[in-house]
Amino acid sequence: MTEVRISHLTKSFGAGPVVDALSLTIGHGEFVSLLGPSGCGKTTTLRMIAGFEDADSGVIAFDGSDVSRVPAEKRDIGMVFQNYALFPHMTVAQNLAFGLEMRKIPAAEIRTRIARVLDMVQLGTMTERYPSQLSGGQQQRVALARAIVIEPRILLLDEPLANLDAKLREEMRVFIRDIQRRVGITTVYVTHDQAEALSMSDRVVVMFGGRIAQTGAPADIYDRPATRQVAGFVGQVNVIEGVVETASGEGGHVRLPFGTIEAPRIGAATPGARVALALRPEAVSLVPPAGAGWQGRVVSRHYGGNLVDYRVAMADGTVIHAQTFPTTQFEPGAEVGVHADAARLWPLGD
Amino acid sequence: MLSRLFTGYCLIVYAFLLAPIFVVVAASFNAGNFLTFPPQGLSLRWYVVFFENEVFMRAIRTSLWVAALTACISTVIGTAAAIYAVRHAGRMKDTVRVAMLAPLLLPEVLTAIALLFFFYAVGMGTRTMAGMVIGHVVITLPFVFMNVVASLESFDPALDLAARSLGAGRYARFRRIMLPLIKPGVIGGALFAFIISFDTFTISFLLKGIGTSTLPIQLFDYLRTNFTPEAAAVSSVSIAMTIAVVVVIEKVLGLRIHRF
Ligand SMILES: Nc1ncnc2c1ncn2[C@@H]1O[C@H](COP(=O)(O)OP(=O)(O)OP(=O)(O)O)[C@@H](O)[C@H]1O
Ligand SMILES: [Mg+2]
Repeated sequence: MTEVRISHLTKSFGAGPVVDALSLTIGHGEFVSLLGPSGCGKTTTLRMIAGFEDADSGVIAFDGSDVSRVPAEKRDIGMVFQNYALFPHMTVAQNLAFGLEMRKIPAAEIRTRIARVLDMVQLGTMTERYPSQLSGGQQQRVALARAIVIEPRILLLDEPLANLDAKLREEMRVFIRDIQRRVGITTVYVTHDQAEALSMSDRVVVMFGGRIAQTGAPADIYDRPATRQVAGFVGQVNVIEGVVETASGEGGHVRLPFGTIEAPRIGAATPGARVALALRPEAVSLVPPAGAGWQGRVVSRHYGGNLVDYRVAMADGTVIHAQTFPTTQFEPGAEVGVHADAARLWPLGD
Repeated sequence: MLSRLFTGYCLIVYAFLLAPIFVVVAASFNAGNFLTFPPQGLSLRWYVVFFENEVFMRAIRTSLWVAALTACISTVIGTAAAIYAVRHAGRMKDTVRVAMLAPLLLPEVLTAIALLFFFYAVGMGTRTMAGMVIGHVVITLPFVFMNVVASLESFDPALDLAARSLGAGRYARFRRIMLPLIKPGVIGGALFAFIISFDTFTISFLLKGIGTSTLPIQLFDYLRTNFTPEAAAVSSVSIAMTIAVVVVIEKVLGLRIHRF
């Protein structure tokens, strides 16, 4: 197991930095995801860890020793590519043997290691197939097997599930995480799919424009997003803005354009100051109209099976997004009472 | 209906391409003393004459040597140039490409004359076969280059990165990953180089070493004074050799290429 320490890593391709003074430590055996929109520098960061790209400045250290000058082929990393990059002229067994042969491992040991890893990815019977004779999911597992059979110090994965269909993608999430735990390897996983990052990772690193916006456990990122950008990128969110009327302890009474609410946390805001609160759609419930509380009118309804998606227009025109269980449903146009779970309100920075 | 028309069209094209070859081959079995078609009687006598003709035999050996040498040199240089152009040249890619294809744009005579001046200017002259081989390399290089570039364009750079991540150095990556995958292009290029070198006339004629002669030159020489079916026999053997090279290489090396 290896600890990866990245400090002040910077890289630009001509105009402006693509990775900007990025610092991050990935612990022994930890599974960390880099999550961010397209073009935010995730792949570039991963390629610098792998050694495919030189950093302009900054340090990457494995277990305390600087690897900046170590070429990729000597870094002892396992990498899984988005398009798998399996060698098309080699069988599954030959693909897996390649890295071991490069390490001059005796043939007998190569065979036992390949057999063990193929068993792990449930492809024991496919050794003599060529990649073109495998399904996408099988190719994906061969790529994973090829990366871990060399028992690398670090496993790097760049959107490995992007080319699979939705069902298979969910299966592979569990599968990859399970194998990663069994092997206990330090892993960096790049994705722009928030569900993937949240469900697989020990820690999620949210990136925008080459910088880290927030680092934290999946629940931290989702329930306690640092900024509007993070809140908006990781799942869906209502950002409601109001003015703090009175503060008490960490919380306060907030006046919104369409009502008031008792927020348990208002961050650094003081009475009289504006505050932006994140409210996840599933923390909003709709009830038959009652005299008190927030009132609104259903604008649209989308049935999603396990949940129903509503857009509700409040008195001042603000539209609130609500997700509820489909037990009671409201027709578009119906007047409803809107109830927000105050415990789920979270103050956002800028 | 359309496919019938198309088949007919293909047959006409093939007939057009193959008829001269057929005529030459048929004429080579002529029993008479003159190059005529249809042949007067069937016989292998002109083949015997050809194989006993020391001058032709020397010429054919020279041609084979030159073609083999040209194919080797051209393939190594052309492949290296193609790898540079596609993988490393960056923005220079188009410049490199145009430079490599330049010999195709010039008439062969001009290339030959330019080389001739050059060889004399550097004091090398045409005493040896080196000049002719260099000339052949120059005119065959674009074919190797184009073939290898075509197969490199479909080579996924991620494969190279994958091999690097697995611990493969430069040489291992070339030998075990890139070369096997671009092999169709490399072999195709080598084949082209061999055949073009074997068949070319103009450049050989101007650059040939003193006292040496390739098969096409010897044939030309022969036809200036003789008009026997021996010429047809020479041509037939030349055609057969070209076909043999294609078939043998396709069989020996080609089959493994198409395995996946
Ligand atoms: N070799 C390169 N030359 C020039 N620009 C590059 C190069 N590689 C990446 N970039 C630029 O750097 C930025 C970040 O690229 P990167 O591939 O790291 O993004 P990403 O976060 O992985 O995005 P995606 O989710 O689309 O894969 C992009 O704007 C891209 O255009
Ligand atoms: Mg990427």
